[in-house]
Amino acid sequence: MSMNLKINRYDTKKEKRRKVSDIIYVVITLTLFAAVGVSMFIFPRSTESELEKRELAKFPKFSFETFASGEFTQSLNTYFSDTVPFRDDLMVVSSMIRNMTGFRINNIKFYNVTVAENVDTEPAETLAFETEETAGENVTERVVEGISPNAQTAVPENNMQQEPFSEITTAESAEAIDMDDTVNITNNGIVVVGTRALMFYGGSYTVGENYAKVVSEYKKQLGSGVNVYCMVIPTSVEFYCPEEAKQFTSEQLGNINNIYSNLQNGVKPVDAYTPLNLHKDEPIYFRTDHHWSSLGAYYAAKQFAETADVPFSDLSEYDEKVVDGYVGTMYSYAEYNPVLKNNPEDFVYYVPKNVEYTTTYHNYTLGENNVIVGMQDPYDANFFVDFSNNKSMLYCTFMGGDAKITHIKTSTRNGRKLAIFKDSYGNALPQFLFGSFEEIFVMDMRFFTYNAIDYLKENGITDLLFANNAFHATTKSTVTHYETFLTQGRQTAPAETTATTPVSVPAVTGIPVTGISPQVKAPPVTSTIPPATATVPTGTTPAPATTTSPPVTTTAPVTTSVTSSATTTTAAPAATSVTTTSKPKSETTDKPKTTKPKSETTSKPETTKKTAETTAPASTKGEIISAD
Amino acid sequence: MENVSTNSREILCISNERRSVPDKGAQNDKMVFADLLFIYVFLPLVIIFYLIARGCDAVLNKQRRRNRKLGIMFNESPVVNIALMGILLVFYVLGKPAVSAVMLALILLYSFGAEVNENPFANAVLIIFSLIFYAWGEPMYIVLMLVSVMINYVVGLMIDRGTKRSKPALALGVVLNIAIICVFKYSGFIAVNLNALGLNVDVPEINLPIGISFYTFQSLSYLADVYRGKVSGQRSMSGLLLYISMFPQLIAGPIVRYTTISEEINTRSISLSDVSEGSFRFLVGLGKKVILANQLSVLSSHFLDSDFNGLSMAGAWIGIIAFTFQIYFDFSGYSDMAIGLGRCFGFEFDENFHYPYISATITDFWRRWHISMGSFFRDYVYIPLGGNRRHQPLNIIVVWLLTGLWHGASWNFVLWGLYFGLILIIEKHTIVKMQEKIPKLFLHIYSIFIIVFGWVIFYFEDFSRLGGFIKILFGAGSAPKWDIITQGEITGNLYLLIIAVICSLPVGELIEEFYNRSMTKGGSALLTVGKSICAVTLLAVSTLLLIGDTNNPFLYFRF
Repeated sequence: MSMNLKINRYDTKKEKRRKVSDIIYVVITLTLFAAVGVSMFIFPRSTESELEKRELAKFPKFSFETFASGEFTQSLNTYFSDTVPFRDDLMVVSSMIRNMTGFRINNIKFYNVTVAENVDTEPAETLAFETEETAGENVTERVVEGISPNAQTAVPENNMQQEPFSEITTAESAEAIDMDDTVNITNNGIVVVGTRALMFYGGSYTVGENYAKVVSEYKKQLGSGVNVYCMVIPTSVEFYCPEEAKQFTSEQLGNINNIYSNLQNGVKPVDAYTPLNLHKDEPIYFRTDHHWSSLGAYYAAKQFAETADVPFSDLSEYDEKVVDGYVGTMYSYAEYNPVLKNNPEDFVYYVPKNVEYTTTYHNYTLGENNVIVGMQDPYDANFFVDFSNNKSMLYCTFMGGDAKITHIKTSTRNGRKLAIFKDSYGNALPQFLFGSFEEIFVMDMRFFTYNAIDYLKENGITDLLFANNAFHATTKSTVTHYETFLTQGRQTAPAETTATTPVSVPAVTGIPVTGISPQVKAPPVTSTIPPATATVPTGTTPAPATTTSPPVTTTAPVTTSVTSSATTTTAAPAATSVTTTSKPKSETTDKPKTTKPKSETTSKPETTKKTAETTAPASTKGEIISAD
Repeated sequence: MENVSTNSREILCISNERRSVPDKGAQNDKMVFADLLFIYVFLPLVIIFYLIARGCDAVLNKQRRRNRKLGIMFNESPVVNIALMGILLVFYVLGKPAVSAVMLALILLYSFGAEVNENPFANAVLIIFSLIFYAWGEPMYIVLMLVSVMINYVVGLMIDRGTKRSKPALALGVVLNIAIICVFKYSGFIAVNLNALGLNVDVPEINLPIGISFYTFQSLSYLADVYRGKVSGQRSMSGLLLYISMFPQLIAGPIVRYTTISEEINTRSISLSDVSEGSFRFLVGLGKKVILANQLSVLSSHFLDSDFNGLSMAGAWIGIIAFTFQIYFDFSGYSDMAIGLGRCFGFEFDENFHYPYISATITDFWRRWHISMGSFFRDYVYIPLGGNRRHQPLNIIVVWLLTGLWHGASWNFVLWGLYFGLILIIEKHTIVKMQEKIPKLFLHIYSIFIIVFGWVIFYFEDFSRLGGFIKILFGAGSAPKWDIITQGEITGNLYLLIIAVICSLPVGELIEEFYNRSMTKGGSALLTVGKSICAVTLLAVSTLLLIGDTNNPFLYFRF
């Protein structure tokens, strides 16, 4: 602008100085302004964020309608600021600036803590719903449909009535792999103490009792020929919570013991707590991730082996592998707290030396919102997946993630076959048991589409281990998952349901999959009930779908879904993680606006078909990348 | 590096999501100044085209001087202007923006006819970009703004004739403008309240057109000033369009008086110091908004938008204090940006905020806070009602009711206005009379308390939340006095709060004074460096903070 100015006469010396001063200032400022402006255009725009693990906004498509509604221009603004060149690097700088606003006594910093709510460890049903379920847990939910020969089981009635809103965010999950539980836990708040981030725990005794009950039910149905074990793994906050922050978290030991004391039918508790507590000065948990480390899992596995009376290999019989520079999930959950970024840790894992084993993966294909839309052909691959090039995902080193059934055959011969039902904590366990069992089946509590009892019997399982962290063991949806596994896909399912039947048809084509927008209020484990998601959209339904759902026949739908409705898993994170990672959703109940039931929303099957081919070869890795 | 770890900030997305007031911040995606696309695309384009246009104007004026015939080719005829604008609007509504663009071009070209307009090119550029700017946020409501311009154009000329018709014309103009603002801003509110009274009215779902409060008020001031003979009516449609739609002040004020810039529309010069000071002012405003207000909004919403179950007394105070600063830096930041940009384009707007938080009395506060709004109500409502001479208390109450309502269509704003109205009346009979005798410090504490409590009323649109919050604020009920989260927030934002306090004191003024006085060799060098560093830092930090920003509330959407 300076070119065309009518420059005033600068008569006096003072004026002259002033003029020079102005010129220098304008030139400097203008130069920076122009430099930044130009670099916004000459450098390529960012397309995805590794930090936030999501695809960035896309250039909006223009149409008169979107323009008239203002949507186009808005999206353009979002696009421009979201896809700035070198975005992630700049975000790191920006978060540093944001963190310069003050100081923290004892290096303690809280995130998302809802004061005075989680303090209660008493058995209080309502508390549990409020604190754990409302926002977070749903994140783990997914609609499983079509996939396996199963009649889906409806969620127990009370579930729907008691927590009508808890599902709202259900479909929001961005996390296919091991982050669902995180989102749960973050919901209780986070504290960063020094260089360690901890997630607060809020658990309900009552839910824990229900967990014990369902585990006991497995034992009952499996009979005396199968040993059932229950290992509830404490999370890191139990051992490292600073005094100041204790008021925001509940004690886990009491809850775990309460679960153990409620086990029936001869289910054996596995006391992982004691060895972990004993070794808490060692790196048994990650500081920057919400998981435990391999070492922690080793101590727990040892305890399990003792309980199960199987041989156990000492740590010396493993090759220790170290990947340095690990900054895990807590970095983004703690709002990019620079302290975590600046203090990475080693990711250590142990590869068994003296035992042979083959690992077969049965991967699930996930559609949008982590809905299972199909199952891939089984394939053999290494148990350990190399993530040294994608360090933020290092925890996926174990089996590459969660959305699968992993079947390991070992050279051990003792007639024992183990099945593990687990959350992501369980991923770190199996490799310590290769010398203890002939075969190991690893099944994730969020990704399992068969009838559990049938499946376990067919595979001749002799030992069944439930390995969940304390959080999941006291979270209602976990219980519901396990209940569902007992009834889903049962050959003899009673054919009673009426209202649900029609919807199950589109289910096969994948409609509910994408149909469930983040806003939909779907019943919690709706996952397994396509009809429920579509017809029982809100918690207002007085008498929701009952216990059992239509006996969708066996093989026919399976094949259909696998071939035609397989959706690229990559589609999911794009749509969902935007909201999840950047703005951890809180209780949607507070915000009626966002909860418009969108039950009518349906996805076009064509889109899913289109992508079907691309998914087929999706290996572990592909799936993982999409996962977050 | 180690120390960075201790410094932290909390982006409490949860509490942002959980906002008790669903609309607040809902429109933060409109193109506003604190946005990368605006700063790095829109602004450079305006600047480039504006420079070219200034060049063209210079050439044109030279030619005019040489060739007298070029001087006055024709004067604008209102009929032609109205016809062009009418066609423009009709085709825009019909979905044929191309035709509208042609009409706009004709309207702009039409202003090239008279010598009085020394910068038709520059004006054309400003108008075009202003319309793009507005259409960016309100692609359809731009029609409303243009209709408003057309109405005021006609009415202004009717008043200007000075005949007997000017009074009814003014009345018509006032009624029309108020009708527009009532329909688009208050109809929902009115309907809800009629329903509450038992009448069954449909609540219309009208989104508030952005900036409507500002441009209708500018229009009103224009009409009133023409009626009072302070200025003559604008014969050029593009001239009035420029006044109403000029993008620096369009959506977030200040409410620029037509008298302030009527001459600059046709003749204006831009000096080096205008650019220097204007751009610096813009950057200061940007920093106030992005660096201070946005960060403070995280802090304030953490406490104010929480469900109050876990809120402690200390938390409530910190929350409302953070909001006190946030709203000041937000509003005054936008005003600074507007004034700065205006200056760069050759317009001199009046100051809008003058360190309101150093006020000794509330009377003083309202002379310093949002001056353009306060003076609007003073000149066009308070004084015509009788001012200090007739039923002053009534006048004050009326003015402050309106002031409250102007801030938003909700009862809490009415209450907020009444609150200040009453305090002002009381002050007039007490403190103001004996101000000299009371220690300054005491007065200051008193004012700050009244102001902060005012923001409490301002913040909560929901009366039950307002009540709940006030209880906690004064320690009634079972809320704890102190909690560790609040402690963490206080230390974690301590530097921010300290900077906020400093920046709301007149340090800037002191520096400027020093700057003007100390133009010695060394002093000038020092100041040049200092100013440049400030500017560069403000721009760089603001840009960084805007990247991936999830928390950029636009507080002006209600106006």
